[in-house]
Amino acid sequence: MLKQIEGSHAVAEAVAKCRPNVISAYPITPQTHIVEELASIVGKGELDAEYVNVESEFSAASVVLGASAAGARAYSATTSQGLLLMSEVVYCIAGMRLPIVFTVANRAISAPLSIWNDQQDSMALRDAGWIQLHAEDNQEATDLHIQAFKIAEETHLPVMVCMDGFILTHAFEPVDVPDQKEVDSFLPPFQPTNIVDPRWPRGIGLFADPRFYMETRYILHRAMEKSEATIKKVSGDFAKAFGRDSGGFIKTYKLKDADVVVISMGSLVGTIKDLIDQLEEEGKKVGLLQICSYRPFPRKEIYNSLKDKMNIVVVEKSISLGRGGILASDVRWSFPRAEKKDRNISSFIAGLGGRNITKNDLRYMVEKVEKEPVELEFLGLKKELISKKDL
Amino acid sequence: MTISAEELNRIEKKDLFTSGHRACGGCGQALAARLVQDASGENTIACVATGCLEVFSSPYPDPSWRIPFLHSLFENASAVASGVEAAYKALKKGPVNIIAQGGDGSTADIGFQSISGMFERGHNVLYVCYDNEAYMNTGVQRSSFTPLGARTSTTPMGNKTRKKNLPLIAADHGIPYVATATVDDFRDLQRKVKTALSIEGPKYIHILAPCPLGWGHHGELTVKICRLAKDTGLFPIYEIIDGKMTNVRKIPAKVPVEEYLKLQGRFSHLFKKGGSKETIAEIQKIANQNIERYNL
Amino acid sequence: MEKLPLGLVMELRNVVPYKTGSWRTLMPINVMHTPPCNHSCPAGNDIRGFLRVLAENKDYEQAWHILTRTNPFPAVCGRVCPHPCEGGCNRRDFDEPLAINCAERAVGDYGLENNLKHKKLIDTRKEKVVVVGSGPAGFSCAFHLAKRGFQVKIYEANSEPGGMMRYGIPSYRQPNYVLKQEIDNILSLGVELECNVKVGVNISLDQLRNEYDAVFLGVGAQKGVSIDIPGKDAENVFTGVEFLKQVNTGKWVEVGNDVVVIGGGNTAMDCARVAKRLGANVSIVYRRTRMEMPAITAEIDEAMEERIMFRYHTNPVKLVLDEGRVVGLLCVQMELREPDASGRARPVPIAGSEAFIPADTVIMATGQAVDYDGIEIQTVDKRWIYTNEYFMTDMDGVFAGGDAVAGLETVSLAIGHGMRAASAIEDYIEGNKEGELAQPPVVISRELNTYYYQPVKRYEKEARPIHMRLKGFKEIYSDFDPDDIIAEAERCFSCGLCFDCGNCYMYCPDNAVKKSKTTGYYEFDYDFCKGCGLCAKECPCHYIQMTLEK
Repeated sequence: MLKQIEGSHAVAEAVAKCRPNVISAYPITPQTHIVEELASIVGKGELDAEYVNVESEFSAASVVLGASAAGARAYSATTSQGLLLMSEVVYCIAGMRLPIVFTVANRAISAPLSIWNDQQDSMALRDAGWIQLHAEDNQEATDLHIQAFKIAEETHLPVMVCMDGFILTHAFEPVDVPDQKEVDSFLPPFQPTNIVDPRWPRGIGLFADPRFYMETRYILHRAMEKSEATIKKVSGDFAKAFGRDSGGFIKTYKLKDADVVVISMGSLVGTIKDLIDQLEEEGKKVGLLQICSYRPFPRKEIYNSLKDKMNIVVVEKSISLGRGGILASDVRWSFPRAEKKDRNISSFIAGLGGRNITKNDLRYMVEKVEKEPVELEFLGLKKELISKKDL
Repeated sequence: MTISAEELNRIEKKDLFTSGHRACGGCGQALAARLVQDASGENTIACVATGCLEVFSSPYPDPSWRIPFLHSLFENASAVASGVEAAYKALKKGPVNIIAQGGDGSTADIGFQSISGMFERGHNVLYVCYDNEAYMNTGVQRSSFTPLGARTSTTPMGNKTRKKNLPLIAADHGIPYVATATVDDFRDLQRKVKTALSIEGPKYIHILAPCPLGWGHHGELTVKICRLAKDTGLFPIYEIIDGKMTNVRKIPAKVPVEEYLKLQGRFSHLFKKGGSKETIAEIQKIANQNIERYNL
Repeated sequence: MEKLPLGLVMELRNVVPYKTGSWRTLMPINVMHTPPCNHSCPAGNDIRGFLRVLAENKDYEQAWHILTRTNPFPAVCGRVCPHPCEGGCNRRDFDEPLAINCAERAVGDYGLENNLKHKKLIDTRKEKVVVVGSGPAGFSCAFHLAKRGFQVKIYEANSEPGGMMRYGIPSYRQPNYVLKQEIDNILSLGVELECNVKVGVNISLDQLRNEYDAVFLGVGAQKGVSIDIPGKDAENVFTGVEFLKQVNTGKWVEVGNDVVVIGGGNTAMDCARVAKRLGANVSIVYRRTRMEMPAITAEIDEAMEERIMFRYHTNPVKLVLDEGRVVGLLCVQMELREPDASGRARPVPIAGSEAFIPADTVIMATGQAVDYDGIEIQTVDKRWIYTNEYFMTDMDGVFAGGDAVAGLETVSLAIGHGMRAASAIEDYIEGNKEGELAQPPVVISRELNTYYYQPVKRYEKEARPIHMRLKGFKEIYSDFDPDDIIAEAERCFSCGLCFDCGNCYMYCPDNAVKKSKTTGYYEFDYDFCKGCGLCAKECPCHYIQMTLEK
């Protein structure tokens, strides 16, 4: 049903309709509205689930781990500091192959403390073995949650749905929230296999000595790679069932004749599309490659879509301090070395700590890369705030 | 849930935690773990924290558990158990005995947050703490349960602080059942586990589990040392049911703390030349205080 | 190798456990040890065996069979044995030793009440053995030989069988009907008995050696020895053995008002107490003190209870006669000096301390000797029959045991001799020369773990009041309550043999102690045992020992 609704509430309703059995979360801005709405839904009896008010994010993730290991469909939401606090458990969940879904309302990381949006938090856990899907807008955020449960349960890999904090979570937009019957027909009930059950005793969480550990990591890596097929299939099934494109591996926009290609993910994509339309009217041909699934990384798709494109610029809301752009490095790696010679891949860091990214900033960026490749640049950096020795 | 006196007093040996684990010979924790699992029976899920218990009992491919167990991390046994309990409630499965188990660190130090949360939320989970008075698995480092005067690898001159009293802290959370026990009296320990499992709500059992390696004694003295710990007054045995202390074990014949200390290598520095008689006197004072406070 | 499961989540039903047994340097083994009671018993009884059966199965019948495997006279011994087993009992270091003697009597009496029968182990074989003397040694030897199938004949010089049990022990200590029933039970195994035949007089030893495959001499030491003082041949002077025999044949001996008994052994005590029951004032005259008296402490105590006067440091010098009858003794006081050859303090008369003690009867219970009448055999110091370690005398095929060999000893020792001689006779006849099997080491109280026990009061037998006792020859101790005896048997520590307490089973941290399907006890799973030693330390009866790993 189409309604004007805050992003968090739309997500909460979608998650509730996926019939999770156990929900556990610790409040942290800007995820609070999601968990509050879920508490309300459970409290009103609209969802029959156990809602556990834990005492920290670590326990939130642990409760969800325990619940999933016991055969429940489990969900939690967090961001930034909370995600980092539960990072031990996040890795643990992936190693145990539990099909848990998290919402990460992307937010900057302390210190200095910031409650505003960037994607450093989910980037910090990109190597944990979770599938990471990025939502462009609230509609996609809502849809991705429904797809996430299905992807997780089919691949036995946990899924993190990333949506930009405040920008998406606190924005009121028209969103078509599917109704219960539609979700039920798309998402079958959870059929857990490897759970703790006294009727069929199993051990979960054994330790692996050097004889076995490496193989477990190989298997997890290959599982991540193979999940590509499931991600694409579920997105396709979703399109058939609900009539709109959501999720998937990558999406492209006006890529065909583009001279400059912008790669990005998350809500920034919307602004970029607006700019592209504007530039088209001005006669410039710029295209967009939007990354929906950040992990597993769509290396082949990027290569195949862009192998004829010579001017690529990656704009991201994250940074690997001491190294440079994270998404940019991933993109640069997508092209075989031999071919990179005349291709420019520029890296821009934008929007850290919730800094507003305007169309003008993006225009400046496109114009700059038309002239010359940019190794690494912070978009919209206020040099007047930086003393000479720190430059 | 009522439980008959006959069932409560029956001794259980079912080998649900069985041979093949890599504990040291004479390990008090291995013995306690077996007694606890057997008392609980096959309808049990064990949520185990990282520590000696987990490391010696759950390697791939030959764990020594025969009931389902779930091990995740060091500090979250209680939280994981809470999750399992929530799942069983949500899925309307069960009833099942959920026993979260851990040692010093996972109960009182790094895991304190999660056990406190579990108690406060009132989950129907039994937490069993195997108190071996140090972080044994990582190499005998000091924990908040290390008693005064004990030598550990991080307090080589003897520990300067007193033991944290977790059973009373647990009781102050308002949980319906708290008990302390030792491995020498297996009837009492199994009875307490069964009593706990028959009560709804969070429960806590604190078991003294001597560690031959860490405490510096021969494996065959494990049982004898527990008896001395009880009879000197250093480890009082009691139950706290709905906030009231009951079933306090009276000491039949009080033993001076030296009898207990001199059997253990970790206190040997107190008896050597240059050793500290004051510390022994301090320890005796603690014992006396316990005897008075708990009316042993 | 198995493929790794998803998420390393493992099914626990088919785990192959890791064999930690390879770690150990010490290993526990079950070793049956000898309990001190068995070790101290001169008859070789399995005391632990019958006590455990009483305690665990409350089965008197099985207890009787265990006891009569070695001792065919449980009811008799339960009355007369000085119970060295109780002196050895490890429980004495914890609270009080077990009342084993009372238990033996209860078991023996049960056998009599319920007419339990001995069983033959082997069918009759052709060899024949003759036993001379139907005392405890003789009957024991006959019993064991008969069970093994030999044809046995006993020759008894007296008119009734029993030897000292019949003619030496008064019936207030051991009633006749008890002895008779136990003797009949032995005879029902097919043993022939002929009384009133004195070997050496009515029939020669050589004749027996020709007719039979082996001979056992259980002739005892039934000749009374008196001290050589003037007047000893008077009419009213008896030797101890003589006096007791007369009374035990049912004769009423007129002893008069005052009786003096000379001597400090069991025979002296018996004579004094019998005389008391015949209505006299009795005093015992002994040249040393109570400490040196060879009689059993209990007997001395009971005699004192019965108001018999003890004159210590007193030695008779001569008997005073009047018209050929003794009217009193002239005694002198003695003082004790350094020990003499017997190891006891040497008594020396104090000059001028003579005193007259009136007596209507004097009984000299001052020693016994073997009656060698008609028997030529090698002796030791011209007193006791010589035997080698197989109980064989200097004559081939002739064996001996009991008082005749050991000196003045007990019924139990004679029974033990009879059993071992029977074994030696069997070996002799079959041509084996097997030695006795080595006994496992004895358990001492320090080796037990008594933490699990509470002090429990020992069973005390009740004696009839003294004035009732003296009114005749009825038994002093009334029958025991069978439940009380079972409660007493439950005090047994079962030293050296598992009694299924389950400590090892429950305390093993590695689950390496399993219930044995064969023995009914516990056995060790050496695939997993790490050798920590908890089982051995917590075993209350020292059945588990730690040894070096092979």
